[in-house]
Amino acid sequence: MSLGEMFVSGLSAVWGGGTMFLMVIVAIVLGTIFGALPGVSATMAVALGLTFTYTMGPVPAIVFLTAIYCSSITGGSITAILFKIPGVPSSAPTTFDGYPMAQRGEAGKALGVALLASAIGGLFSALVMFLLSTPLSKAALAFSNGDMFAITFLGLSILVVLDTKHMLTTIISGLLGLLLACIGQDPMAGVARLTFGQTSLLSGMEMIPVLIGLFAVTEVLKQTGAKKRLSADDGVGGTKGKVNTKMPSLKELLSIKWTLLRCSVVGTVVGILPGAGATIASFMCYTMENKLSKYPEKFGTGIIDGIAASEAANNAATGGAMVPLLCLGIPGGNAAAVMASALALKGVQMGPRLLNVQPEFLSATFITMIITNIVMVIVAIGIAKVFAQILAVPYYYLGPIILLLATIGSFSEGNFVGVTVMVIAGIFGIVVKYMHLNSAAIVLGLVLGGMCEKYFSQAFQKAHIVTSPMGFGDIMAKIGSTLFGTPIAAVVMIACILMLLSPLYMPLIKKARGKKA
Amino acid sequence: MFELICNCLLFVFLGVTYFTHVLEAKVPKSYLKNPNVMSPDAWPKIVIILLLICIALNIWKIIRKNKGNPEFSFAAFGKNTVAFLKSRMFIGMVILVAASLILEPLGFVVTAALVMFSYGMLLGAKKWWLLAIVAVVLGIVLHVVFSGLLSVNLPRGTVPFLRSFSLFLENLF
Repeated sequence: MSLGEMFVSGLSAVWGGGTMFLMVIVAIVLGTIFGALPGVSATMAVALGLTFTYTMGPVPAIVFLTAIYCSSITGGSITAILFKIPGVPSSAPTTFDGYPMAQRGEAGKALGVALLASAIGGLFSALVMFLLSTPLSKAALAFSNGDMFAITFLGLSILVVLDTKHMLTTIISGLLGLLLACIGQDPMAGVARLTFGQTSLLSGMEMIPVLIGLFAVTEVLKQTGAKKRLSADDGVGGTKGKVNTKMPSLKELLSIKWTLLRCSVVGTVVGILPGAGATIASFMCYTMENKLSKYPEKFGTGIIDGIAASEAANNAATGGAMVPLLCLGIPGGNAAAVMASALALKGVQMGPRLLNVQPEFLSATFITMIITNIVMVIVAIGIAKVFAQILAVPYYYLGPIILLLATIGSFSEGNFVGVTVMVIAGIFGIVVKYMHLNSAAIVLGLVLGGMCEKYFSQAFQKAHIVTSPMGFGDIMAKIGSTLFGTPIAAVVMIACILMLLSPLYMPLIKKARGKKA
Repeated sequence: MFELICNCLLFVFLGVTYFTHVLEAKVPKSYLKNPNVMSPDAWPKIVIILLLICIALNIWKIIRKNKGNPEFSFAAFGKNTVAFLKSRMFIGMVILVAASLILEPLGFVVTAALVMFSYGMLLGAKKWWLLAIVAVVLGIVLHVVFSGLLSVNLPRGTVPFLRSFSLFLENLF
């Protein structure tokens, strides 16, 4: 199927006689409100959005969730600017310049820049996703199991390096995720493992209740225990429900064109890397623009460059995160992991073959991202302008509503075990917090664990074939050719090893540099 | 101290799991005949061994970091535990566990109303009567929207009249 044909097929899939388009609009409104509500992250928004997709087909489900995902990231900028509360973590850098502008009475300008930057970042990454996915999927079909294992493992390794201050606890978290993924029957021989006699665990961990528990329930519990709860009551735009919506001029927008371009590129690349996501992209681009700026001292005082950097990057990362999901079946981040789990429930396995068999997935996702990134600008302005009071909904209503939606989402498989798992996962999330573990790494380990083991076992079986029972030498040779058997696997594995060993050699390098200086 | 205790418990739990629960059924003989395959317990055992090493390192790190810290004692841990058991977060956990237990017999509508009301009060709602009205209305609205309109499965309850009420709501539209 050519790119033009895919474009048309995507349009017809998303239009769907008008009902599907209406559904996308509903998802955009929902996503923007979810994203704008303090305490509801983009992942939580997608997890809560899952509740609405249980009766949908696979294509409508991915369209609905993609629209929620993209718009929730944008929605997060509204509260970041108006109330200095990032609706989603990736909007945190937006507060640095957005809130001072709102305090000066330039909330409209700040919102305008944020929404425009979000749209440009989102559209850029959608285009990259569309152009890159087909060739990458074709290339991925030629990947060996060893290559796929190495790429999957890369996701976990990157996560470890990104959290340099807590490397050990991040490694523990990733390994815990991998271990949780082992629960149930093993993928090759079908033998029960780690079920502790519970038959409900034979089919493995119920992914969706675990994700909902870790992201939604844990957050509500954290807020319950917090001395000062997230609240939008005292923001500059929330007190009287009025927001100054004077938009930025064309001259002002043109002055940030290079910032928008740079951050869209960097955001997309960061999004593509499995494990890195919108939050890392926005912080990275904010810092980068600060360093590249002619007036770095003005960053943090309320300039549009800072807002553009953060918002273009975090929205670009959303499109980037869809690339490994659609092409390789490897989610680029937590929200993509939730989407992958939702589609797996419907019997759809993401990966290179999917785009050969059902190219409408890619085209529908692309068109949804295009529509969402354009429509959400209008929706978000409307929400910021008219519903500023709604954003100030007290947490004693919002918290329980999140819990109820989470319960519906976990029960939707018609299984009470799902609700129990959700509650346990929610409480486990609190233990994780106190143990200073990284819940994102646990989730990534859990989601990638099955794939990691499957690819490793299959590659192991085919590598260094022996005819008699293996000795130690054979095992080592088999492991060696599993991990480094092909050029791609070897390069990626060496990169992983270098990343994982970096805590050992980086201090030595720094020390040596210090001595030279 | 909580961090240390959790790490120690996790270490012991994983150690026991390594020897007792990694493999819970016999591996088919036909599978074992192939010398090239990986045993089903190999992958989880590798992960557990790596975890045990990392947790041991983490325990050492925690002890070293907290040397001389007066808060790092069993007495302080006891105090903190008592404080936690009285905290809103713990009550929130109790509400959630209770909700998961009553969901099957009472169904979604009643459970949702109870969770909304009790959790709302826990989070500091001042007008209890308003919260009670919102809780009841929300329970009904969510059931109608999800079960009736979106055809999402929701528990109806095993108590006969609550079950009938849920069915009535589902057939409203």
